[in-house]
Amino acid sequence: MSFLTISHLEKSFGPNRVVKDFNLTVDQGEFISLLGPSGCGKTTVLRMVAGFESPSAGQITIDGADVVRLRPNQRNIGMVFQAYALFPNLTVAQNVGFGLKVKGAPTKEIAARVEEMLSLIGLSELGNRYPFQLSGGQQQRVALARALAPKPQVLLLDEPLSALDAKVRVSLRNEIRTIQRELGITTIFVTHDQEEALSMSDRVVVMHQGIADQVGTPFEIYNRPATRFVAGFVGTLNTLEAKVLDPATGRVDVAGTEILLHRALTGSNATLGLRPEMVSLGQGAHDTGLQGTITDVDFLGSVIRLRADVGGQSIAFDTFNTTQSSPPRIGEKVVLGLNATDLLVIGD
Amino acid sequence: MKKAAAWAILFLGITYFVLPLIGMVEFSLSMRRGVYSFDAYAKVLADPQFRQTFSYSVFMALLTIVFGMFLVVPTAFWVRLKMPRMRPVVEFVTLLPLVIPAIVVVFGYIRLFNTSSWLPLTGTTFGTNMLLMFGYATLSLPYMYRAVDTGLRTIDVATLTEAAQSLGAGWFTVLARVILPNVLVAVLSGAFVTFAIVMGEFTMAALLNRPAFGPYLQLMGANKAYEPFALATIAFVITWACMGLIQLVTRFSKHTKAAR
Repeated sequence: MSFLTISHLEKSFGPNRVVKDFNLTVDQGEFISLLGPSGCGKTTVLRMVAGFESPSAGQITIDGADVVRLRPNQRNIGMVFQAYALFPNLTVAQNVGFGLKVKGAPTKEIAARVEEMLSLIGLSELGNRYPFQLSGGQQQRVALARALAPKPQVLLLDEPLSALDAKVRVSLRNEIRTIQRELGITTIFVTHDQEEALSMSDRVVVMHQGIADQVGTPFEIYNRPATRFVAGFVGTLNTLEAKVLDPATGRVDVAGTEILLHRALTGSNATLGLRPEMVSLGQGAHDTGLQGTITDVDFLGSVIRLRADVGGQSIAFDTFNTTQSSPPRIGEKVVLGLNATDLLVIGD
Repeated sequence: MKKAAAWAILFLGITYFVLPLIGMVEFSLSMRRGVYSFDAYAKVLADPQFRQTFSYSVFMALLTIVFGMFLVVPTAFWVRLKMPRMRPVVEFVTLLPLVIPAIVVVFGYIRLFNTSSWLPLTGTTFGTNMLLMFGYATLSLPYMYRAVDTGLRTIDVATLTEAAQSLGAGWFTVLARVILPNVLVAVLSGAFVTFAIVMGEFTMAALLNRPAFGPYLQLMGANKAYEPFALATIAFVITWACMGLIQLVTRFSKHTKAAR
């Protein structure tokens, strides 16, 4: 049985429906990411779970209890904010112990838990410092420790890494995941960064215009996108327009080349998706070769991103940088190798 | 040339400001013929009426500060958090005491709360004291509200409130343990201005017939020569001490440094 259930959740601000019939079940100890562009409703869903927004309709249950009518301070939920939100007047240790103090825990218990939490985030030495004396990464770790100290049922992370620089972001996301696994706490993480969502989560919910477009493991989301939006939003995707020659077998024509998809199609045209890493320069062992002309070459260090025009359609693909061969030049005729099984049929 | 002109203007300004003060202090020290002395100060400080009115005004000032704090901090917090659109309206209301003379306010009070009204506050000493305290709080409202609102602007009120709530804090805890400590410097700034206003206020105290420091200043000014100047100097010192305390409190606040 799931630990956190969100059923038919709706939220409207005036005439704007920002969350529409949102459903999600989260198992105990699971790490779920809500991924989507700005304004897709992911933060609103999180804020409704936290109790900072009231749903227009729907139900949220945690461990079997309906929490919709409970105030935020009655829900036993820990939350980490994008802007850290540490109390500036309190030291690091006082910040971490705040939740326990509010609950009236004995001083000894608070001190022990604060020490435990500070050691968990590796900041045992900084207990007496004030937030303004810490770096952004340290502040966010303290915010995480503060949220975890009262042993919440659910941990909510609202874009906690967005305000940090790239290096700190990567190390902190690994740290968050390690701590989350160690404590086995049910976690919902909101982000617009697909790399964060894919690397940290057990499952990802891709949101678009207030709707959960697809819920799945990072592997499923990336390799089997359910909608055109998910395909385009997660990772880089080439879209190819194809003419359907035989709907029953999935034989299609892409820029003059026939490809057999081995799956039934509907209609006379289809949109196919192709990840850049599934395309190689030269047909090699691939079952399909598309004739194209190089239109762009971007040197990115370890890889070179190339763009080719294939019958009026543009395909981006990557090739590894080696010292043995030089990349093709713009205008050069090439063959792009791919396997028909790597082509995604994109629905709406 | 430009620099010399700037210095000359500065000198003129300082002279314009300082000269009357020097004159006042000099005159307050001239009670004894031919030598400077603190006789006027000694007389003032020995006057039981001085001690009585001064302590009354100090007490009223402290009461006003506490009342003002309990009125303004939750109001400014709530307006900022839940009714940001109402901010201009609330700001306008808090500015009204600057344009409505104290005499109008106090006559309004007397009319509304006289002994034949539905709430006869002027019928008892306690009631009149309360009325005077409300009046002082009204007079200091523009300064207190502005100070607190400016303090609230320096912190992320909404996020800090939500962070505290997610940790189990109710509204009272949020206000007492999170918001108030973080705007304490601003509250103290407002408090010191309130203190200075109350110590020098005449109209309300005189018309409500309360033994405050302002009416005592006026009484002395009308009847004595040197003592009023000694009193004025004392009043100036109190005001400046308040200003100095605002600076001190700001400087010694440990946690108000900007985040890195």
